[in-house]
Amino acid sequence: MRPLLRLSLSMLMALSVPALADVPNESIEADASTRQVAITSSFTGTEILVFGAVSNSTQPTPEAGTYDIIVVVEGISAPVTVRMKSRVGGIWVNTQSMRFASVPSYYAIASTRPVDEIADRAVLDAHGIGFDHVRMVRTSQSRTDATDPAEMQAFRQALIGLKKDEHVYVQSDFGVSFVGRSLFRATIALPPNVPVAPLTAHVFLFKDGKLLGQYDSRVMLQREGIERYIHETAMTRPLLYGVFTVLMAAGFGLTAAFAFRRPA
Amino acid sequence: MTLYLPIAEMSVSIVVYVALGLSIGFLSGLFGVGGGFLLMPLLTFLGVPSAVAVATSSSHVVASSVSGAITHYRRGNVDIKMGIVLLAGGLTGTYVGVAAVKLLRNLGYFDLTVSLMYVVFLGVVGTLILVEGVNAARHVRATGGHATRRSGQHSWMEGLPLKMRFPRSKLYISIVPPLIIGMFIGCMSAIMGIGGGFVLIPAMIYLLRMPTGLVIGTSLFQIVFVAALATVLHAVENKTVDIVLALILIVGGVVGAQFGTAVGEKLRGEHLRILLGGLILLVAARMAIDLVLPPANVFSLATATGAS
Repeated sequence: MRPLLRLSLSMLMALSVPALADVPNESIEADASTRQVAITSSFTGTEILVFGAVSNSTQPTPEAGTYDIIVVVEGISAPVTVRMKSRVGGIWVNTQSMRFASVPSYYAIASTRPVDEIADRAVLDAHGIGFDHVRMVRTSQSRTDATDPAEMQAFRQALIGLKKDEHVYVQSDFGVSFVGRSLFRATIALPPNVPVAPLTAHVFLFKDGKLLGQYDSRVMLQREGIERYIHETAMTRPLLYGVFTVLMAAGFGLTAAFAFRRPA
Repeated sequence: MTLYLPIAEMSVSIVVYVALGLSIGFLSGLFGVGGGFLLMPLLTFLGVPSAVAVATSSSHVVASSVSGAITHYRRGNVDIKMGIVLLAGGLTGTYVGVAAVKLLRNLGYFDLTVSLMYVVFLGVVGTLILVEGVNAARHVRATGGHATRRSGQHSWMEGLPLKMRFPRSKLYISIVPPLIIGMFIGCMSAIMGIGGGFVLIPAMIYLLRMPTGLVIGTSLFQIVFVAALATVLHAVENKTVDIVLALILIVGGVVGAQFGTAVGEKLRGEHLRILLGGLILLVAARMAIDLVLPPANVFSLATATGAS
């Protein structure tokens, strides 16, 4: 073998071998700061911290932007009807509607940069990442349903807009930040009107538009104390609940009448 | 200071809602009305889902009418027999009304129906009360305050079957009109979250020709039971009664009512009627404006669960 060739081969080895052998695939681990959120009579919303680390990070500094992290916190899916008003004989009446069999009741997304820059449509759609890609299942059409694709899109957008107005759909384009070469964190706001149901936190690791790993974790959201007792009674024993409400009302009415009785 | 409402699923300021309860109570004591017609619209303006507002208002009506009903009963101002006939219709009507609420919510026409009913009923009744109040005030000024007696005839009712004697009211009439009136009020009450006294009282005076002295007591008697049934049925059928919201409003309401009654006794009846008529028309106008003006967002959401 000629010396030159040998030199170039060894150079090639020096360059490529470590890259193949020492750097296994990056993976991700994550968790939420709170596993249990209690909804009590003093609940005014809260924040949860989602944090994690990229294993085998090759990122030189926290600001290098080698990796992209997307955190999606989703509530359970429930059926939703979107209605649209239009003017009929001078007054505004619900005339059209579209029913979705399954829409996340809560959806918060935080990422290291806007999700559309992180990955392409197909990937985002496949994992339901971003408002434009949230999985929403339509039901069979009813009489007043919109059928035109443009209208359907309008209803979908309206649904997302209304959920945003209620603060139950939240997006934070730069909400995830690296605090070290591999450690990252994001805070997710739970508003006071957050639908009470278990939440799932999905954490995605991207590099150059490719999904390298995903880690899921659960956050329980449940009523506690008197709130729980009242809600359960109202839902499971509504007759007792209704009768008790009436007795309470009558009791207060009578008490006040006696307490404030003036000589007639 | 805030409180989380378990059924409305929202966090609200206690101060605002106690103040609301006090003001509604004050006005209901002042005018001798239940106040449901003010409470329901104000709750929806504050962001409470309309179905929760209606159901919870019903429980407020129970609290605000029960003491009046008992006072009138003690004074012998209740025609129990007539009250029971009205109630028989009223309870049926309530059942129909609650079922209608369920159906209308599924169809997406609940808010519209409630608004239209408020505009129509409050508009008509408010105008009548206002006109009557103004006329009475003029009359008082002209004659020194001697009211003219109505004639006691109700010829069109003479032909109806199932006549019954009502000794307290000194009436011998068919039970069909009170049954129908009771049913109508019950249905209206369940859909609008009100006692319905402002429609029931004129109906008893002008249609049934009951003696004026018995009208208020008898209507309160029927309203207590109709509102109680409406509350229970809303709880069972629609799961929209928020007991925490009810509690705040009732505590404010019963206290406010005592002050209202005290102030009301210092004012002249016709002036009270002019004020009440004006207030009712104001609520009707506000509701009408919301129907006519383009909404801020033409889209709205409805979920399958009880609230929101």
